[in-house]
Amino acid sequence: MRIIIAGAGEVGTHLAKLLVHENVETTLIDENQERLATLSDKYDLMLHQGSPTSVKDLKEVQADKADLFIAVTPYESVNMTSCMLANSLGAKSTLARIDNYEYLQEKNKTFFEQLGVNHFIYPEMLAGREIAESLKTSWLRQYLSFCNGVMVLAACEVPDHAVILNKPFKTGYFDHDKYRVVAIRRKADTIIPSGPDEIKANDLVYFITTPQNLDFVREQAGKESYQIKSVMFMGGSRIVREAIYCLPPGIDKTILERDREKCNYLADKFDHVLIINSDVRNVEILKEEGIHDTDAFVAATSNTEANILACLAAKHFGVKKAIAEVENIEYIKLAESLGIDTVINKKIIAASYIYQITLDADVLDVRNLVGLDAEVIEFKAKEKSKITSSKIKDLRLPHNVNIGGIVRDSTGYVVNGNTQIMPGDHVIVFCPASQIRKIETFFH
Amino acid sequence: MSTPFNYKFLFKILGVLLLVECVFMLLSMGVGLLYGEGCADFLPAIVTACVLGTAGVLAGQRASFHIGKREGSVVVTAAWLLFTLVGLLPFWTSGHIPSFTDAFFETMSGFTTTGSSILPDIESLPYGLLFWRALTHWIGGLGIIGISMALFPLFGISNMQLFSAEATGPTKDKIHPKISETAKRLFIIYVVLTVAETALLRLAGMGWFDAVCQSFSTIATGGFSTKQASIAYWDSPLIEYIIAFFMTVSGVNFSLYYFLFKLRGKRVWRDEELRCYLLILGVFVVVTTLANLDFSEPLTLASVEETLRHSLFMNSAVMTTTGFASCDFMAWPQFTWIMLLLLMLTGASAGSTAGGIKVSRVVLTGKFCYSEFKRMTHPNAVFPVRYNGHVVRDEVVKRTTAFVMLYGVITLLGVLALSCAGLGFMEAVSCMVNSIGNVGIAFGNFGAGGSFADLSDFCKWVMSFAMLIGRLEIFTVLIILTPAFWKR
Repeated sequence: MRIIIAGAGEVGTHLAKLLVHENVETTLIDENQERLATLSDKYDLMLHQGSPTSVKDLKEVQADKADLFIAVTPYESVNMTSCMLANSLGAKSTLARIDNYEYLQEKNKTFFEQLGVNHFIYPEMLAGREIAESLKTSWLRQYLSFCNGVMVLAACEVPDHAVILNKPFKTGYFDHDKYRVVAIRRKADTIIPSGPDEIKANDLVYFITTPQNLDFVREQAGKESYQIKSVMFMGGSRIVREAIYCLPPGIDKTILERDREKCNYLADKFDHVLIINSDVRNVEILKEEGIHDTDAFVAATSNTEANILACLAAKHFGVKKAIAEVENIEYIKLAESLGIDTVINKKIIAASYIYQITLDADVLDVRNLVGLDAEVIEFKAKEKSKITSSKIKDLRLPHNVNIGGIVRDSTGYVVNGNTQIMPGDHVIVFCPASQIRKIETFFH
Repeated sequence: MSTPFNYKFLFKILGVLLLVECVFMLLSMGVGLLYGEGCADFLPAIVTACVLGTAGVLAGQRASFHIGKREGSVVVTAAWLLFTLVGLLPFWTSGHIPSFTDAFFETMSGFTTTGSSILPDIESLPYGLLFWRALTHWIGGLGIIGISMALFPLFGISNMQLFSAEATGPTKDKIHPKISETAKRLFIIYVVLTVAETALLRLAGMGWFDAVCQSFSTIATGGFSTKQASIAYWDSPLIEYIIAFFMTVSGVNFSLYYFLFKLRGKRVWRDEELRCYLLILGVFVVVTTLANLDFSEPLTLASVEETLRHSLFMNSAVMTTTGFASCDFMAWPQFTWIMLLLLMLTGASAGSTAGGIKVSRVVLTGKFCYSEFKRMTHPNAVFPVRYNGHVVRDEVVKRTTAFVMLYGVITLLGVLALSCAGLGFMEAVSCMVNSIGNVGIAFGNFGAGGSFADLSDFCKWVMSFAMLIGRLEIFTVLIILTPAFWKR
């Protein structure tokens, strides 16, 4: 498979790194030589300095033979133009990063396909959705739903009074069909649990379960549930606006925005949201607007450092849940260790989303787990595929791969070693990014 | 520099490479068996390589493939040394080269495609060893890592860091997004050239065995011949023309053949290095031809043809750092020796199998110097160095000039060391330039058909080391010797 990525920004680079370990011929094109130079020796890629909108450069990287052309520069118009050029040159499929909701509407799909752009990605919208999801489930660090919400992946930090602590997996305590522990993160280490492993206090535990059993998981993990009734947003960025669209009306929303013009614009858009023209660093106003009684605080400006600091300040004022958008991938683990409940990175979300397109059609969904370097994938088991040949425990799956659950006839089931997967099942698999292609062969 | 050195990776790669060498030695043994020789020459070496290789692979189990610049340089340098140490065993244990120093020199000369030999009587060697001697050239020509990547993709060695530590030239261009695929394509070009030359030499009257060995040596721009008198042994104009052609062809950047194959001929012809390479070669051939013609007698077509042929052959042999000889060039006018010495320093194109400084670096340095002159008259003007129509980044120019300077300094230090050991001026200079440029012939007693056997052991070690740093283009080897490299 030949893939050309235009734009060596963070989305492009992260995507290239995901693809590099696999049997994919990746070419990265960017105008900035410096950005390419940092990649040249480390990764097995073809790098080309040139403009993504120049026909000559596109011919040079053989865009005509590309199976997928991905334009992820920061500029929507550049992305659209280069996708159209690549398509006219002969690229089989194209994807553009955009920041306009209009392009995503179903009714425009054929129109854009005629223009030569097959897929779109709107990272801010994906990030906004994820923020809204995590606000709905307050006690969790991460909440990803699969198959229209019949299976979920949930992650939470377990306090020292949880019942699941210090129980080795080999004792069989976890062998039931209510939930399945797929991974444990202890400080910087990721553990894929096997026989002798046990959960310790303050571990971040990843469960796969069904929404009906989520309460049981919560009890087992020793967490209190609370409803989030009020949210404060720092800055009226695009991510925040997309998050607000996804939130139910019952929640009180406040936006603090420095720029007066932007405040007017926001007020025009959202009539049920309280918009305050103030800097978040102004503690007086924060107190006045009731930061003490706010349940959740979301910082999603373009400034990572400000987001982290503002969340720490909010935690200090007693906010139960703080969500920060962290742009620098290196800072994610740092932010989590500082006590910020949920960290969102739109670039990783976007890269996982695009990555899914590069996989075969029987892969329905791929989500990256921020800070864990692992992916959760939803596969569809085909007729006569290897995965349906025997019970899970006899399958000889690759190292570190964990099957979490299956969805059969729109009902979710948690699996154990004795489960037999049937053709047509949707299977939720947890695995490190490097194993995806290997596990993919099980489903053909 | 915060990560600890990845020793497991080192062991694993070295182990795998030794197993690769084992395969090549088995091949040579097979050739020996074909000619009715026993296995005794190769068995000790094969067993050693096999045992050490397996041990390395076992020690390197579950090695992480995360490596930095440090591992890259150490692995490549260690691989070349280890390949030589194991590769010398057939010569040494069979008793054909009784001295360890001599065996090391001969094998290093083989792998680095130098082609300087210490053998006083090459024809006395059995076929198996002669084949192995030519094969060392062929392996070293494309590079130990490169050939392993191309031939054995199963081992999973597909690492940019390693490849670029071994490849030649100021910039490393890929012709395919995947490094293993790039290696495979280069390898195919390499094989096609070798097969073509073998067939032509066979048609020109050489025996199969000699044709194959001579082709291995030519395409790798090595210089080991199966005959003591080198190519002059056959005394056939046709063979000389064929070899001269293939030497010249092997001095061209191999990626250009790929582009030619892909019908992107324009790009090939516009290549600045190719043009300069052919231009320099052409000018030197014409000058040496004129210098060697005897104008006191009336010129005949036959004498002009012979002079032109020898001057074409020798200039090409020296510039591509092959080091074959078709005539006794020590009988030429003295200034042509200096011209040959200049060609030894220059070498042929980057990305070819040739040694030397490389034409592209010479051109870049020349352009940079010229732009400095321009900058003196217009202090505020911007004069970027252009190459192949693109502006060259400052760091590339800097590294190139540093390389050329280091090359000069190391050569001079080597000359000093060799003359301390008692070599005459001309011998010391030519031996050192010959070793670091991987050429294969020197002047004086070491000219055409000469042997390096009479050198002292000290000289042989100095020259062996110079061959290695010349082949790995200085930085890869010398960086290991700097304290900053090991500092955390």
